[in-house]
Amino acid sequence: MGPLEELGHHISELLEDLGGMTMFDFGWGSITPFTVYLILTLILVAVIILSVKKRVTLIPKRGPTAAVEAAVDYVRKEIGFGVLGSKELVDKHMPFLFTIFFFILASNLIGLIPGAKAATGTFSVTLTLAIFSFVYFNYHGMKHAGVLHYVKNIAPAGLIPGLNVLVWLIELFSLFLRIVTLSVRLFANMFAGHIIMGVFSILASLFVLPAIHNFSLATLGGATPALGWLILLICIYALELLVAFIQAYVFTLLSAVYLHLATSKH
Amino acid sequence: MDMSVIGYAIAAIGASISISFAAYAAVMATARQPEMQPKIFTTFILGAAFVEALGLIAFVLALMK
Repeated sequence: MGPLEELGHHISELLEDLGGMTMFDFGWGSITPFTVYLILTLILVAVIILSVKKRVTLIPKRGPTAAVEAAVDYVRKEIGFGVLGSKELVDKHMPFLFTIFFFILASNLIGLIPGAKAATGTFSVTLTLAIFSFVYFNYHGMKHAGVLHYVKNIAPAGLIPGLNVLVWLIELFSLFLRIVTLSVRLFANMFAGHIIMGVFSILASLFVLPAIHNFSLATLGGATPALGWLILLICIYALELLVAFIQAYVFTLLSAVYLHLATSKH
Repeated sequence: MDMSVIGYAIAAIGASISISFAAYAAVMATARQPEMQPKIFTTFILGAAFVEALGLIAFVLALMK
């Protein structure tokens, strides 16, 4: 049996592993590896941010403090002032956006450690994040314009009476669709990235295995494709490193855009 | 191999064409007005994220069925 015939079996095993098996069942819920990584990520983010907060000085230092400061500065400048605009709004909403950004970033980066899982690689976590974002921007939109005014203004003003209701319904639907797109985007990116990396590493190991089992010149020749898969795996790993940052950035950016849309209507 | 793989391939074609259009426009805009680069980059990432989500949804659906 050639290495490629075995692939299907290994991929279904990989999918099962990424689906998250139950470690401990309560009846009303269960603990999966993702739960463990979720808690681990939260602790890690809290420890890093709080320890950096203590060490911040007027003259920048080198090392991890400077790295976190650079990330904070970039998000504040690009997302805060770029989308929200005024300093008053930035100061008001940045704590929420920073929390989202650093949680997603840390969770994505932890998922890139071989053997570890990303907490954002499961749909429940990303859905929860999206719902938090949805509730946050709707709450601030209602607080800004008043509940009745906000609900009425989901449809743009100035439409003829009959069309008004139809547009309002469509806009309401697209408002709730934001939860789905926010969560599915993050989940699908992480899930797809891990599957691609998993498939490439499985392929590399499948081609090498015959050469390890009985070593000869022929099996060594058969193992050469593994080198190609390994190089591809390293390239994909570098791409996933980039995706980890981009997805954290995109989620935060979209939250900020929705927040801006909700609070700037009047 | 089943039909879902072909479905994903079609989605990937659509997503790749749209993202390349967005990248093309972003590069052109940056070349014309380099000082607007951060704003153009943000807009490009935003657009790419919307398009990319569709392709990825197809990928996940093809695997899960």
